Amino acid sequence: MVNEKEKKTGGQVLEEWKEFVWNPRTHEFMGRTGTSWAFILLFYLVFYGFLTALFTLTMWVMLQTVSDHIPTYQDQLATPGLMIRPKTENLEVLVNLSDTKSWNQHVQILDKFLEPYNDSVQAQKNDVCRPGHYYEQPDNGVLNYPKRACQFNRTQLGDCSGLSDPTHYGYSTGQPCVFIKMNRVINFYAGANQSMNVTCVGKRNEDAKNLGDFTMFPANGNIDLMYFPYYGKKFHVNYTQPLVAVKFMNVTPNVEVNVECRINAVNIATNDERDKFAGRVAFKLRIIKKT
Amino acid sequence: MVGGFSSLLWAGAVLCFLAYLIEFSKDKSASMDNIYLGVVLIMVVILTGMFAYYQEAKSTNIIASFTKMIPRKAFVIRDGKKREIPAEHLVVGDIVEIKGGDQIPADIRILASQGCKVDNSSLTGESEPQSRSCDLTHENPLETKNIGFYSTTCLEGTATGMVINTGDRTIIGRIALLASSLGHEKTPIAIEIEHFVHIVAGVAVSIGIVFFIIAICMQYRVLDAVIFLIGIILANVPEGLVAAVTVSLSLTAKRMAKKNCLVKNLEAVETLGSTSIICSDKTGTLTQNRMTVAHLWFDKQIYQADTSEDQNDHVFDQSSATWASLSKIVTLCNRAEFIPGQESTSIMKKVVMGDASEAALLKFSEVIMGNVIERRKRNRKVAEIPFNSINKFQLSIHETDDPNDKRFLLVMKGAPEKILEKCSTIMINGQEQPLDESTAEAFQTAYMELGGLGERVLGFCHLYLPEDEFPDTYTFDVESMNFPTSDLCFVGLISLIDPPRSTVPDAVMKCRSAGIKVIMVTGDHPITAKAIARSVGIISANSETAEDMAKRLKIPVEQVNKREAKAAVVSGMELKEMSPEELDELLTYHTEIVFARTSPQQKLIIVEGCQRQDAVVAVTGDGVNDSPALKKADIGIAMGFAGSDAAANAADMVLLDDNFSSIVTGIEEGRLIFDNLKKIIAFTLTKNIAELIPFLIFIIAGVPLPIGTMAILFIDLGTDVIPSIALAYEKAESDIMSRKPRHMKDRLANHQLALYSYLQIGILQSAGGFFAYFTVYAVQGFKPDRLLYLRPLWENGSLNDLEDSYGQEWTKYQRKYLECTGYTAYFVAVMVQQIADVIIRKTRINSIFQQGLFRNKYIWVGIASQIIIAAIVSCGFGSIPILNFTTLRVQYWFVAVPYAIVIWLYDEFRKLLIRRYPGSWWDKTMYY
Repeated sequence: MVNEKEKKTGGQVLEEWKEFVWNPRTHEFMGRTGTSWAFILLFYLVFYGFLTALFTLTMWVMLQTVSDHIPTYQDQLATPGLMIRPKTENLEVLVNLSDTKSWNQHVQILDKFLEPYNDSVQAQKNDVCRPGHYYEQPDNGVLNYPKRACQFNRTQLGDCSGLSDPTHYGYSTGQPCVFIKMNRVINFYAGANQSMNVTCVGKRNEDAKNLGDFTMFPANGNIDLMYFPYYGKKFHVNYTQPLVAVKFMNVTPNVEVNVECRINAVNIATNDERDKFAGRVAFKLRIIKKT
Repeated sequence: MVGGFSSLLWAGAVLCFLAYLIEFSKDKSASMDNIYLGVVLIMVVILTGMFAYYQEAKSTNIIASFTKMIPRKAFVIRDGKKREIPAEHLVVGDIVEIKGGDQIPADIRILASQGCKVDNSSLTGESEPQSRSCDLTHENPLETKNIGFYSTTCLEGTATGMVINTGDRTIIGRIALLASSLGHEKTPIAIEIEHFVHIVAGVAVSIGIVFFIIAICMQYRVLDAVIFLIGIILANVPEGLVAAVTVSLSLTAKRMAKKNCLVKNLEAVETLGSTSIICSDKTGTLTQNRMTVAHLWFDKQIYQADTSEDQNDHVFDQSSATWASLSKIVTLCNRAEFIPGQESTSIMKKVVMGDASEAALLKFSEVIMGNVIERRKRNRKVAEIPFNSINKFQLSIHETDDPNDKRFLLVMKGAPEKILEKCSTIMINGQEQPLDESTAEAFQTAYMELGGLGERVLGFCHLYLPEDEFPDTYTFDVESMNFPTSDLCFVGLISLIDPPRSTVPDAVMKCRSAGIKVIMVTGDHPITAKAIARSVGIISANSETAEDMAKRLKIPVEQVNKREAKAAVVSGMELKEMSPEELDELLTYHTEIVFARTSPQQKLIIVEGCQRQDAVVAVTGDGVNDSPALKKADIGIAMGFAGSDAAANAADMVLLDDNFSSIVTGIEEGRLIFDNLKKIIAFTLTKNIAELIPFLIFIIAGVPLPIGTMAILFIDLGTDVIPSIALAYEKAESDIMSRKPRHMKDRLANHQLALYSYLQIGILQSAGGFFAYFTVYAVQGFKPDRLLYLRPLWENGSLNDLEDSYGQEWTKYQRKYLECTGYTAYFVAVMVQQIADVIIRKTRINSIFQQGLFRNKYIWVGIASQIIIAAIVSCGFGSIPILNFTTLRVQYWFVAVPYAIVIWLYDEFRKLLIRRYPGSWWDKTMYY
């Protein structure tokens, strides 16, 4: 520009900074006097106070429009996902027969998971329903009337119930049980009035070979219609999610076996290319056995 | 493509690749998102870089002027033989021959000359042909007549000369070297943009680092922390701004080109706006660059002629018989002619063969009486003595057009005192009267008065030769002068001037009210310069020079306190004697300055003097040796019409019509674009906060990410681009020509602008965005309380049964889709609020209604583009997975509307308080 700006020395820069932070002549701290700072702080206090009030108000109004028992939209949950128990890192069920610890954690998870399914608990809280029919509970004029749930007894899981089971769901013997559950979706009539069941296969040919036999509980991997529809956490308090247990009888040890289970129901698509868990679940099974 | 924002984006891209590598080393099936983002960032950098370059290249017209001036061939006498060689083979000592039409191949000393005249205008700016001879007439090589300069043209005659300098050592070569060695320093706008980039980059880097550390402390993985860093940088960098600024500048440049200001360097647009001193040429810039009849004196009275550009209402009294005689002399005693073939052009625009004064008189008589050529034919010329500098008159003898009058008419014009000497009578009201004392005195007074106006005065006289002595068979001999040249009858005086352009006085007034000092720099005589300066208002009516004061107070000039005089007329000789300190003093204490009789080299000294006053100096020039001054000036303005290519090359701007008032128009545009750039920057910065806050909340409160990096890019480079450019079309809020030039401390992006955009409107926008975000999550089942600290579960890929507020369970993909819906909602919310933002940015102090909502149509084009781009992105691109947009339900487009309205109301409130309480704390804090 006008005169060539001389490069400032380091000392000058420091001096300028010092003066900027505290200027003793004008009593300015960071370029503002005390009163100026007070004004600024007061202003921003008021401004943000107002903004908080505005935000709170709009949020409150918005939440008023949202119902308590059913979300406004469910379009993204058109196809419920499937999931397994025990829930593991990367969906890999690892059982090292010589290392109790490796499978004991799964067992503990399952013990805890199945506790609400104990027959005593179920009998106490839930109804005995008519199998093969939806258990519909219309409000009948009473808004958001609390809903009853159907019994799913732990004994229905047979060998996988873990009740008085020395093999710990088969984990200690290398014949593990994996439990399949379908994601809850409010007011979803799974199966569209027709029976449905879960099936499992090895993903590829070699997987199928390595997988060996397996048994399903309840028989055929059936899921009964009476557990539907679901009315939501708040009004369907004791809802017990139906389960299908798969007991793998003779998995080839020391190989990774990819298993895929899917639900066969009229109104659940299992071929979504993007969502790998829509109506199906893929997991790995690996039994380590010292030979 | 380097420096500033680009380097931040490069850093972002590198971080992206780094993040991908880290991820890839852990898990071979890592998602490619980071790679895509990195590639997109690099593309953004390259494309904006290319765009800026293209815009710049489009408006920069590089003229290879010096190479164009090189003469191709030269006739040289070597070994006693004349031969033609390429000009670059000439050596010092060669004898060259030149003839009319040649370019002089080197600096030569004239050894012999036959009526050689050269055009030195490209070198010295003198437009009159200069005669060359072998006499040394001046010590200064530029003034002496025996040197011909490289690259100038020989107009007529022939000459022989000896080469004394070649190539870079010639006068013009040295000027070219000087011009290229003077580095052009950074333009004010470049400094401002740099300052702004520093602010933004500083904010980006410091927030990025702070949150990187916070993320590490909160035990996020390093990979996540790196991704946060990318997001924060990306959110902070206004990717589209460089393009918007470039386009705005080139739009202004285009608008200026329509008004005859051709801008070579885009940044010069704004520089012109901050100009505080204009050093202007006189001839051609302030004046029309053609001699014109200004006054007439006959019947002992001064009459004024019309000097405007089209000259069609001459109002002086034409009924007097004296006028009839005078007009006859003017018509007949004139050798100038119109070049044939211009019947359709208006008289004033016709090209004339002949010198400037004669052309002026020819046009004058053509306008008043019409058909001069026909009249000359009817009064056949029988003898003629052309004007020369020794006898200082021009004479011709004609037959009269009255068939009954067989007398010859002798007409003469020339220097008034010479003409008067030859007269014994004077014509008053058509009657010849003896020339007595009182008449002579009246003549003197009129002559002095017209001369004092800086006008060139000519006297006219005639004589009807008695028929008995000069019958129609008489042969006139101009050599022996066998006819009377004394005891003639004096008819009148006509004074000529190169009149100021009619738009100039207004333009000078505008400059004055805009706080811009106008300094006239001319090679003309001080009296003429001062007269023109007064008539255009460079020296205002009531201010005096030291000389004027001395005259009024009747004391010697030395006793006048020069500081009391507002105006000063300084000649080149005086300037030569001055020390830089004295020049500084002169420039400081006088507001109205005229430099007369200056050589083009002194212009550089004047420019440097002005720049020592911390002024932003605009300089006009046309000659080659103006080019150092043009280059040195903050903004060099070359004359497109009369100027040389070299001047145009050194300048930042070319005035196509050479008109001073075009400069003022340019200044107005420059000031406007500065204001509008402020608005553009304020608009662009606002949404940076709305893009940044999501990342901060994401890190601190662990909610699912509200906006993705792609959506940020779509705001910065998509929806926001056209509205920000549209702001460049905004009209001025008040009379921008009534305020002082911008002080260098007035920043483009000052802290008021940053604080208001970042901490007020930006935060408001973020609140609106979050409201939209929480809304789309809540209606799908995730109420706000569920979202807090949900992030680790939300992003866990193997967790496919995440429970929402209603007990429903979501797979990873379903969550990801909802997250994209959240991005889209936030994106749309920001877009909606940016509509409010562009509307509030139309003005900085006036209410929107004062400015008019619909005056700037481009704003509405911009708003439409925002909505259309957002709609396309949301509907059309919803199916392209890497862009992470989904189709949003119509009602969620309106979620942020209340916030948009609040933004608008709040800004109106701010402006209202600023208008109500100027100078208050509010004004100082809130006006940007």
